[in-house]
Formats: sequence, structure tokens, C-alpha cells
Amino acid sequence: MAQAATASRKPPLWAWIKRRILPVYMVVALTYLFMPVAIVILFSFNDHQGRYNFTWQGFTLDHWQNAFGVPRLFDSLVTSLQIAFISSAIATLLGTLIALALVRYRFRGRSATNLGLFLPMATPEVVMGSSLLALFIVLGVARGFATVVIAHIMFNISYVVVTVKARLAGFDRHLEEAAMDLYANEWTTFRKVTLPMILPGVMAAFLLGFALSFDDFIITNFNSGNTITFPLFIWGAARVGVPAQVNVFGAAIFFITVSIMLLNIRLQRRRA
Amino acid sequence: MTTDEATSLVNVGARQAARRRKAVPYLLLLPGGLWLAIFYIAPMIQLVGISLQEGTYQTGYSMTWRWENYADAFALAGSHFLRSFLYAGAATLLALFIAYPLAYGIAFRGGKYKNLLLVLVLMPFLTPFLLRTLAWKVILADSGFVVETLKTLHIISPSGRILATGWAVVAGITYNFLAFMTLPIYVSLEKIHPSLIEAANDLYAKPVTAFRKVTLPLSMPGIVAGTLLTLIPAAGDFVNASLLGNPQRLMVGNIIDNRFLRIVDYPTAAALSFSLMLVILAIIIPYVRASGTEDLVA
Amino acid sequence: MTDTTITTQGGFGSSEPAAVELFNITKRFGDVLAVDDLTLAIGENKFFALLGPSGCGKTTTLRMIGGFEDPTEGTINLHGEDVTGLKAYRRPVNTVFQSYALFPHLSVFENVAFGLRRTNVDKGELEQRVAEMLDLVQLSGLDNRHPAKLSGGQQQRVALARALINHPRVLLLDEPLGALDLKLRKEMQIELKRIQQEVGITFIHVTHDQEEAMTMADTIAVMNKGKIERMGDPAEIYEDPRTAFVANFLGGSNLMPVTVIDRTAGSVATADGTTLFVPPKALSPDTHGFRVGVRPEKLNVYRPGSGDIPPNVLTGRVMDASFIGVSTHYVVRTSTAGDLSAVVQNLTGDRFSQGEEVSLGWHPERSFVIHDD
Repeated sequence: MAQAATASRKPPLWAWIKRRILPVYMVVALTYLFMPVAIVILFSFNDHQGRYNFTWQGFTLDHWQNAFGVPRLFDSLVTSLQIAFISSAIATLLGTLIALALVRYRFRGRSATNLGLFLPMATPEVVMGSSLLALFIVLGVARGFATVVIAHIMFNISYVVVTVKARLAGFDRHLEEAAMDLYANEWTTFRKVTLPMILPGVMAAFLLGFALSFDDFIITNFNSGNTITFPLFIWGAARVGVPAQVNVFGAAIFFITVSIMLLNIRLQRRRA
Repeated sequence: MTTDEATSLVNVGARQAARRRKAVPYLLLLPGGLWLAIFYIAPMIQLVGISLQEGTYQTGYSMTWRWENYADAFALAGSHFLRSFLYAGAATLLALFIAYPLAYGIAFRGGKYKNLLLVLVLMPFLTPFLLRTLAWKVILADSGFVVETLKTLHIISPSGRILATGWAVVAGITYNFLAFMTLPIYVSLEKIHPSLIEAANDLYAKPVTAFRKVTLPLSMPGIVAGTLLTLIPAAGDFVNASLLGNPQRLMVGNIIDNRFLRIVDYPTAAALSFSLMLVILAIIIPYVRASGTEDLVA
Repeated sequence: MTDTTITTQGGFGSSEPAAVELFNITKRFGDVLAVDDLTLAIGENKFFALLGPSGCGKTTTLRMIGGFEDPTEGTINLHGEDVTGLKAYRRPVNTVFQSYALFPHLSVFENVAFGLRRTNVDKGELEQRVAEMLDLVQLSGLDNRHPAKLSGGQQQRVALARALINHPRVLLLDEPLGALDLKLRKEMQIELKRIQQEVGITFIHVTHDQEEAMTMADTIAVMNKGKIERMGDPAEIYEDPRTAFVANFLGGSNLMPVTVIDRTAGSVATADGTTLFVPPKALSPDTHGFRVGVRPEKLNVYRPGSGDIPPNVLTGRVMDASFIGVSTHYVVRTSTAGDLSAVVQNLTGDRFSQGEEVSLGWHPERSFVIHDD
């Protein structure tokens, strides 16, 4: 290789540095990524005087012990969980059907469908949220829990399609033909062969939708009426002083989801 | 019946079955498609309609094809528009420079830890969006580590601050959308077979040249996708501006939010909203023309 | 000139229905004509091969028999019964797919049992039949493994077991040996033949490998551009291909354009006037111009002037001589008929080298005739 000739002229230190640059950078980048998370977790232990939790004043476990002390916080969490579950479940169902159609069949209007699914992902949330609000106003629909669910289903569908499609693409079509060859009709084939095989992708789509829904702020803000979700609670509290219990729950959410993800990876590794 | 009659009967049956089979994809598309039609497409169309109306919340709105709404909107928020794209653009570039080496490192040096590293990159985004942004308020606080270091290095003046300036907003946006930039770049880098780079080396290309001529062009789809996925939501964001910026430096998202929810000036707000959408479409259309619709949804 | 009505045994008015009958089967994909007015009958207990290059329509034909594609026109009968409108799961045939299509989330046992589970077989009988089938394909003991943990050859045998256990009356095989390495493929060819004879049903095997078809099949149908060009047992179609396509597909061939001199004597003339002999019965009365074909292994190479040379002789110069171990392959440039290839078994140590002048000779009965119109 042509490199050998030039390398011998460079000092070994330079080569040593070059090899290390990338890993060092990655460590720095990951630190950058985790810094805010660390702050969130850290400040859940902050013994802050006054309403604002922005400067470190001392360590305390009070907030963790008093996690349910803030009245509407816990309710907002529950609301968020409910909305996330319902909207993601429905979006997953609708999106999976669409993904099946896109991958399995050639049909007219395919381009339009692809475009129509892409647009929601490419539209800024302000535009989507505000236009949906306008629709509800014109239709005279009161904004609340239901409208939030509707909105969340809407923007989740595209992400579900993307996720399931990726999983479906590697699916051998002959498997379904084989099932039919072995006397299974369409419904049995779907139940016994197709569904078990796309299930991981469908589950991943559900989890993605759940996460997106739980964390959504802008669209929810436009369409929530009096319903308070967890992000809306934080937004409302940001003016007046965010109670540290928010950090507690934020940290808790983080740890729970991380544990689930790591568990998932462990399980997958064992299956392989 | 004769063999011919029997044959033609069977052909008819076969054709009927084929017709039924053709309907299946449309049936599958129906529920989801209908949902999107009602709750995405219809509102969009209606948005345009509202943007051409006139009136106030008290007196009611009427459709008068008032194109002046757009002019009014620009008089009101033209500078915010520009600022939004300035901030979003800066954040996108910054995110690109941060994310590319990261994605590169994972794809080419990750080895068996690739998936773990990807998970690590995604993990921070499991904390709520608002909490992450508020955390930046702490990080960039006036007496915090970052600001103190910058003061010592004379990058900012002794009385300067980062918070409540455009820099803080850009910093927040960059961070919040980093995952959207990293993942697509990673995906397209990952597809590059190492033998391509070996071939380049075999043909006398030094590492930097191989990168420029092979890796970079092949990762273009990822770069483009990441850029779009970052720029577009960033342009419409107002949370970062609200929490980390100041009232003199609002983004167009803030104005839209304000006009819709507090001032209740629907026509102007709708005009602004749709204008934003038009600019976004203007960015997307060349992209879709160039790469076709098949790869849009993965 | 191709045969459009071709039978192997039974069908078309004989007392017993053939295993598979296709009547005027045509399949169009948009503008593309994949199968062109195919009529075919395949008898019971036969190993039947559909042979042809990619795109010739063989796989499409197989899939139509299996029920995975609907014919655009025509009907399909299985044992006398019209199945054209029936879906795959209602037909008494089973398929071994090219990619095996084993269900990755099911064990070997469950894969093999899949078809039986759709019927009312009771548990004890099911387990027994699965065990028997695994025994037949020599995979006993692997019940609980998953396909991902099997080798290519093992997967292939599971696919076979999964199909055969249902006692189909016809087994369809879509290039099942394509993914195996050479040695394994040859083993499986013999194995499949053995199983077919043991089970006693009709196998329809699609392949593009002519050697594979000739090894395994009782009857071969050579397909080209959606039609069957030639059908018969391997020796018959090899020695008498009747069209240039079949001649070239089934092995090497040397083709020489000639015109008839004397029909009763079987003498013909090449372009430069050399006289050659062919079997007189190969010359049909109405054609005048055609080509004589000789397989390279039927050509012998002699030193010029040596005695004992057969009636058909051409002289030329050796352009290439490749020693292959078992044989030597020669390319000889003749003035009469261009470059001819000859394959000579290395029985003696005697070989010719590049540049030598040689004579090529063959017996008239060992040649065939191709009418090009």
C-alpha cells in the first residue's frame, strides 16, 4: 500500500494521534449528548430555595421522597401515558396496514401515497398543530383528550409506516406462498406466518409511536384545550418555576426506558 | 358444453379472482389513508382558506380572499421568518459537523459495539424535550462552567452572557435535533462496503482522497436526509427560542403560536403558517424530484 | 418449427388421465409474453424436468401449476380435474421453493408438520408421519432445531420433507439445488431421484442446468421464449435436438450449413463443395437447406493420411488444445466449416499440439440434422 512509504517518514506520534482522534471525538460527542441528561438527573437532587431550579444549592432526597407531592404533575403523567398508549396502538394498526400495502403490492397511486406519508414527517409541528386546531374550531369540536389523541395518531402513522416497512422489506414473499402451498388459506397464513414474522417491527413501531406521543409538545399545545399532558405541565411551570419533582419523573422515565431497551437487547442477543 | 365453452368459463373465473386481488392494496390503505386525509390534508387546505379570511374573533370571520393577509403577515413577522431560517440553518450546519464524525466513527470503527453505540446516541432523547431544553438553561447559565470558560478565553466579554441570545437558541436547537441528523448519516455510511475504500486505496488514493471521492459522495443521501429532517422541524420550533432566547429575538413559530392561541388572529396566523409550509415545500420539491418518491418512506 | 402438442404418457384421450395436463396455457405480464400457448401432458410416476435459460417461462409454468399465478388463458388439469380457478391451498400439489421458504420462527418439526396441521390428522399419527419423513430425508433428530441453524443442504431436505409429507400427487421443485455447492448438488441430485422412485409420484423439476436435468429426469422439456421446443428422454433429445437452440443448450455442438445432393444416399454438400453423409431418414422431402450437427465428443482427431478414418472427413489446423484431465478439448480451424470443437478422451498418451495439421472424422449415424426454417 502506498501509505507504507509515507508513514515511515512521519513521526510515530502523529500516527498515534491520528488513530486516536476519532474515538476521542466520539467520547467527547457522547459526553456532550449526555450532559443535559446528567443535569436533569442531578437537579432532581437539588436542594433549591425558591421557585427556580437552575443553580446548584445542595443535595437532598426530599424531592424523590415527595415525588407525588405536586398535585397536577402526576395527573399529567397519567394523561400522557394514556394518550401515548391509545394513539400509538391505533397508529400502529393503521400504519402496519399501509406498510403491507406498500411493500406487497404494485398499485396506481403508489407515488402519491409515498408522498402523502412523507409530508407529515416533513411538516413543521407549528403548521400541523395550528391547522388541526383550525379544523377543530371550524367543526365546533371541543379541544381536549380526544383531539390530542387524534392529532397524535395523525403524526405517528408515517413513522409507523417507515419502521414496519423497513422490517417488511426483508420478508421473503415465498414464505406466504409456501404456507398456501401447505393448505393454509389467506387468513391462516397471515396468522401463522406473516404476523409472527413482522411482530418485532410492529412492536418497534408501537414503541416509537409511544415515545413520540409521550414527548410531543407543540402539536399537543395547540389541540389540548384543558387537558394537561406532562410536556404541557412542564411548559406551564417553566414560567413560574419548575418543581424538582419534574426532574424526578424525567429521570425516572429515562431510567425505565433505558432499562427496557437494554433488556430488549439482552433478549435479542440470547435469541440469536 | 364444449371444451371451448368450458375454457372460457374458467377464464372468466380466473379474471374475477384477479380483480378481487387487485382491490386488496386499496383496502389496506383505506383506514390510515382516510385518517391522514381528514386530519392532515383537509386541515392544510383549510389553513389556506383561513389565511384568506378577514375578521376578528369577536366579529367572526368571513372569506373575502384577502391576499393582503400575507402582506400583513410579512410586515409583522418577516424578520422573524428570516431569523428562524438563520437559526435553523446555523443549527443544521452545526449538527452536521457534530454528527458526521460521530456517525462515521460508529459505522467504521464501531465493530461489534455498533448497536450499543447507536443506542447510546439515542438514549439522551428519552428525556422529555422540554426538560432537555431547560437543562441547557443550567449549562449555559451566567455563572456556569461553560460561560466562565468562555470568559476566561476572552471569547465573550466579562459582562456577556449566552442565555437570552441567539447563540443559546442555536445551541439548544442543534442539540435537540442531533439524533435526526446522526441516524440517516449513519444508515448511509453503514451501507458502504469496506471493499470500496480498499479499492480506492489500491488505486493510489490517500485516505483523505478516498474519503472525498468515495465515502463522502456515497453518504450524500444520508446527509441530505439528515439535513431535511433537522432543518424543517427546527425552522418551525419555538420552544428553544422561548426558553433560551429573549423576547426581542423570537422565531416565526413563536409568532404563529402567539397569534393562534393568545391574540386569536386566525387569518394572519394562518397566513404565516402556510407561508412557512410553502418555504419548506420549496426546499423539499427539488429533493423529491431528484431522488423520486420510492425512498421517501424509507 | 416447434411441437405445440406434446405428451409423455396418458392424457388426450387415453384411458387414464395424466398427472398434469396444460391446455393452451398462456401467461402475459403486461406486455411481456412469458408462456406462449403451451399444451403439455405429464404422466404418473415420472421425474419430469422443465429445462431452459432464464426468462424462458419455465418457472412461470411451474407456478401456474402450483396455483401461485393465474394463467391469462388456458386450463390446467390435475388427474383429470380442472384446477385452473383453484387457489394454491386447494390443490393436491406441493412445492419446494428455490429459497426453501422455511418458516424461520418455527422448528424443523413444526415446519414439516405445517401442512398436516391444516388437516384433521390426530396428534399421534402426525408425530409418526413427521418422524418417518425426517427419516426419509435423513434428518432424524433435528426436530427442534430452527432453520437458521441448519446448513444449506439440511434446509433443502427440510423443504422436501415438508412438501412430501402431505402425500401430494405431484411435487413441484423450483430450482431447489441452485444454492448448494457443486459436490452437495451432485449428491442431492442422486438423492432426489432416489426419493422420487421410492415415493412413486410425479416430480416436476425446473432447472437451467442441463447436466442436472439429464442426470435426474426421465423426460425433459426444453423451453425457449415461452414455448417447448423439444421434449423427450435425455438421450433422445441430446442426440437428436432438432433445433439449433436445443442443440446448443444441451451441450456443445458443431453446426455446418449444407445442401442436399442425394436424398436416398444421404449425401450433402458443404459450402465449398465437400461431400458429407448423414442418415438418409433425417432428410425430410420438403426441405433443401439445413445444417448438419456433430457433438464434439463424436468428432475424432487423426493424423492426416492415417487409415481407419470414418466416412465424414474434414481437414484443418489445431488452433487450441486444452488438456482437461479426462479429455483434451481441441479447436480445429477448417476451411470447409470454420472452427470446430472436438473433445477426445485421453485414452492413449497421444495428443495433438497447437499448429498441427489434423483430420477430423465422424460417422454419419452420430450426427444430427437441424432444419432452420
